[in-house]
Amino acid sequence: MQRQLYRLMAGVAAIALSAPAAMSQELTIFWAEWDPANYLQELVNEYEAETGVTVTVETTPWQDFQTKAFTEFNARGSAYDMIVGDSQWLGAASEAGHYVDLTEFFNTHKLGEIMAPATVKYYAEYPGNSGKYWAVPAEGDAVGWSYRKDWFEDPAEMAAFKEKYGYDLAVPETWAQLIDIAEFFHRPDQNRYGIAIYTDNSYDGLIMGVENALFSYGGNLGDYSTYQVDGILNSDASIAGLEAYRKLYGFTPPGWSKTFFVENNQAITEGLAAMSMNYFAFFPALVNPATNPNAEVTGFFANPKGPNGDQFAALGGQGISIVSYSENQEEAFKFLEWFIKEETQKRWAELGGYTAHAATLESEEFRKATPYNEAFYQTMFMVKDFWAVPEYAELLTAANARIYPYIVGGEGTAKEVLDALTADWNETFKKYGRIQ
Amino acid sequence: MADVMTRLEPNTRAAARGLSDLSIRNLFIIPTIAFLIVFNVFPLLYSLYTAFTDYRASTSAPANWIGLANFRDLLSDPFIWRNFTITAKYVIISVTGQVLVGFGLAMLLNRPIPLKGLITTLLLLPMMLSPAVVGLFWKLLYDPSFGIINYFLGLGKFEWLADPQVALYAVAIVDIWMWSPFVMLLSLAGLSAVPKHLYEAAEIDRAGPFYTFFRITLPLVAPILMIAIIFRTMEAFKTFDHAYILSTQPTTELIAIRLYKMAFLEWQTGMSSAFAYIVLIVVVAITNIYVKYLNKAKAR
Amino acid sequence: MAEVKTKGEVIFNRAAVIAVIVALVVMLTPIFWIAATAFKPRNLATTVPPTVFFEPTLSPFAKLFTKRSQLREPVEQEVYDNAAWWEKLIYDGGEQVVRNRKSGEVTSSGFGNRYMNSLIVSVISTLLAVSMGTITAYGFSRFRVPGEQDWLFFILSTRMLPPVVVAIPMFLMYRAVGLHDTHIGLIILYTAFNLSFAVWIMKGFIDEIPREYEEAALVDGYTRLQAFWKIVLPEALTGIAATAVFCFITAWNEYAFALMMTSKNAQTAPPYIPSQVGSGLSDWTVIASGAFLFLLPVAVFTFLLRNHLLRGMSFGAIRK
Repeated sequence: MQRQLYRLMAGVAAIALSAPAAMSQELTIFWAEWDPANYLQELVNEYEAETGVTVTVETTPWQDFQTKAFTEFNARGSAYDMIVGDSQWLGAASEAGHYVDLTEFFNTHKLGEIMAPATVKYYAEYPGNSGKYWAVPAEGDAVGWSYRKDWFEDPAEMAAFKEKYGYDLAVPETWAQLIDIAEFFHRPDQNRYGIAIYTDNSYDGLIMGVENALFSYGGNLGDYSTYQVDGILNSDASIAGLEAYRKLYGFTPPGWSKTFFVENNQAITEGLAAMSMNYFAFFPALVNPATNPNAEVTGFFANPKGPNGDQFAALGGQGISIVSYSENQEEAFKFLEWFIKEETQKRWAELGGYTAHAATLESEEFRKATPYNEAFYQTMFMVKDFWAVPEYAELLTAANARIYPYIVGGEGTAKEVLDALTADWNETFKKYGRIQ
Repeated sequence: MADVMTRLEPNTRAAARGLSDLSIRNLFIIPTIAFLIVFNVFPLLYSLYTAFTDYRASTSAPANWIGLANFRDLLSDPFIWRNFTITAKYVIISVTGQVLVGFGLAMLLNRPIPLKGLITTLLLLPMMLSPAVVGLFWKLLYDPSFGIINYFLGLGKFEWLADPQVALYAVAIVDIWMWSPFVMLLSLAGLSAVPKHLYEAAEIDRAGPFYTFFRITLPLVAPILMIAIIFRTMEAFKTFDHAYILSTQPTTELIAIRLYKMAFLEWQTGMSSAFAYIVLIVVVAITNIYVKYLNKAKAR
Repeated sequence: MAEVKTKGEVIFNRAAVIAVIVALVVMLTPIFWIAATAFKPRNLATTVPPTVFFEPTLSPFAKLFTKRSQLREPVEQEVYDNAAWWEKLIYDGGEQVVRNRKSGEVTSSGFGNRYMNSLIVSVISTLLAVSMGTITAYGFSRFRVPGEQDWLFFILSTRMLPPVVVAIPMFLMYRAVGLHDTHIGLIILYTAFNLSFAVWIMKGFIDEIPREYEEAALVDGYTRLQAFWKIVLPEALTGIAATAVFCFITAWNEYAFALMMTSKNAQTAPPYIPSQVGSGLSDWTVIASGAFLFLLPVAVFTFLLRNHLLRGMSFGAIRK
């Protein structure tokens, strides 16, 4: 027993003593396993060609990305020099000292002006409005919509729609229209359904979906700088947003109870639904005729306005941060300097990455590049995000526990749900001493 | 107990040659036990300690000793009690199902049947798949729009996983499908050990099939069947992969799923350790009862 | 069995055969579906009505072994014509192979390496768990051990704690002793997992072997070790085969720890197979091909052991 303990301690000592390896010309970036990570690898290969520094993009499946990143942080591991992390992690990772403070880097390079303002706010800054930055916006993303152009443009459908609703069938400009159109195309007897939305409550899927409605109806999740929730999360506007989402659920395909980006794309490829929400990052699969038989007739639009003209979309995407435990921080800074150059960002967009670089986004070239880039460009200037506090996951669990039974099971009313959630969140914030 | 009678006292040298029985016993047992202790002692003590703290593994903040607060919070949380009820229901359904199907199959196969080896191997296939793959594919099979289950059974748009009342059964069905072969294989081994002369004697006595089954077959298979039940119960308590992939309805939130969320999404490391210890105590208690039965079954 | 069959027995036997067939159909339909999907073109994976007959393709396997990305514009005819057969299959699926820009080398998905790692780790840990389990079970079965019941229960209890909770300390421990991301680390881990199971099952089997066998051998001049080796082990072969199958399956399919305890060198296949959603669409055919390839070794292993599995405890016939 005791000998084992000694051996264990000897092991610890050995690791501690084996001083940081000599400055290697190698950098490792950690990200989730998906197409943008492939594009990033292509991009960084060009960095290698220029500088001789090898950069490897290491990936892990999405469902385990968060777990793996934080266990590595917890062990103060130096395996990853940089990480392309979710926006919600900012609080946890910065407060715990896992991320290197990039404020100076940010200010020197005027990133606040170079990158689209909303992306700076949500991918980089923590706490809200503090002027402290922890990441460089890397992969911009948000929720948008795909729809079946052929269904929308069918003259018979257009006439029938006009007769029923009194206005022309077209891409919805308001949430009220979105709901009308979903209802109009919802025909279970023909195996056609109105709309595909996120309902997966295992992480942030459902809440991301709800946010699109809630924000556009003028609601909010709370005040991110004062942690006030009461009167905001359960405001009439928020309640109306949640009710709208519940209405949409009524027009989804059968069994739509644990759906996220895969199922929503599938709703279009399988011809199940007229409209489908999804992250822009997943739209390339929908314009590819080999993966989507309906590619020719799939169109895209940005999240529509709410009743008062508010128009917001839920933010996805990630910023790139330097890991505090990295032994190559200097090299990592050099890499970031290269990454934020205009040419690099342009190249990033060409390769298929979603740049957050304002000038590139605004360029004609970018906006015309794909059928969905225009909608993406519009969306990136009107995104909002979930809480980024370290305890965001507890807020998320509570939100899932309250909202899911209402949306999917029709239990309770929107007001009851949001009142209860307000109480839950207040309790959590009290527990962590954010409010009295 | 019958076997104690013949149990060797290792200090008396039964075999005069070679290693003494005592050294053989020690050589055979001690490495295993030592290995298991060394391997488990750190994780067990670590989680025991964190169970009394507010530690979060996602931060570098030091752990604060908070005494029994985690346990108090957990035991007064109505959601946790619901997790326990759901898990209990799930364990009962799936283990019962596995025993019925698995033992039934073993009874069927325990007779001269052509291609027995091949059939047995084929029947074992479900448990050879990785639980995550099983979850993904059953989700596809259950799909109301293009799943083959509804199609072949003519169930139309029946919502296996979306209906909160059905979902737990749907998850249990997958578990039964996957693990009945486990019970089957162990039962089969147990069944083939039943001495034939006992059946012949029963036949001469004109015993009915029920009598033969309950008085001869079952008691003799019981020990090995009991081991199968112990392991399936323990594993069912830990069910995570396929259940999490199939459904995250509040009505199917098993303990392991809640525990995973607490430990790895919310990073409430201290709280989740406390939760795990509560679960451990429950499982130890249940297993203890089983082991008592097992020993009773063996004593016969 | 009795030679004279009554009419009732004949009917009963037939019913049993029918029941076995029904069971086979029910148990195997999902497996068949996975195997069929592994050879389907992507667009036939989720059709209504389900596609049962189709022209098989190897395209899912070509995808499984390579790293791919979406084709954003159609591939040039010349490039397509010069591509290898498997690369054509990938182009047909609307994707392209990710190549190293400098060397033009195809980037592998890493599945092959992972598969090898899985084999190494599972085979060795199974051998270890079964052999240690067998001797320990023998020790408990044949000798008086102080506090026997408690030790056995301790062994059993090592499998009771939910894995999510031991994951973090285990990870820290592995990091500290340098076992993280090594084959040995995973082998130790899976041996420990399976040991409790191996001891309990093997004890169940060895308890059933009459002691008179060994005692007779000892009288004949065998040492106890020889008696164990030549008499007990052969008799326990069914148990060993069954235990080996179960241990192999557990190690082969383990997911959570495999993910957490590895990062580059020792990654195994299970976490990779379900992760085919990179482009935001599940490619069921690739998941199925991975699952299919991954099922093969276990199925073959089990099939080879089938006679041992079924031989039953032959000694039972003479047990009093």
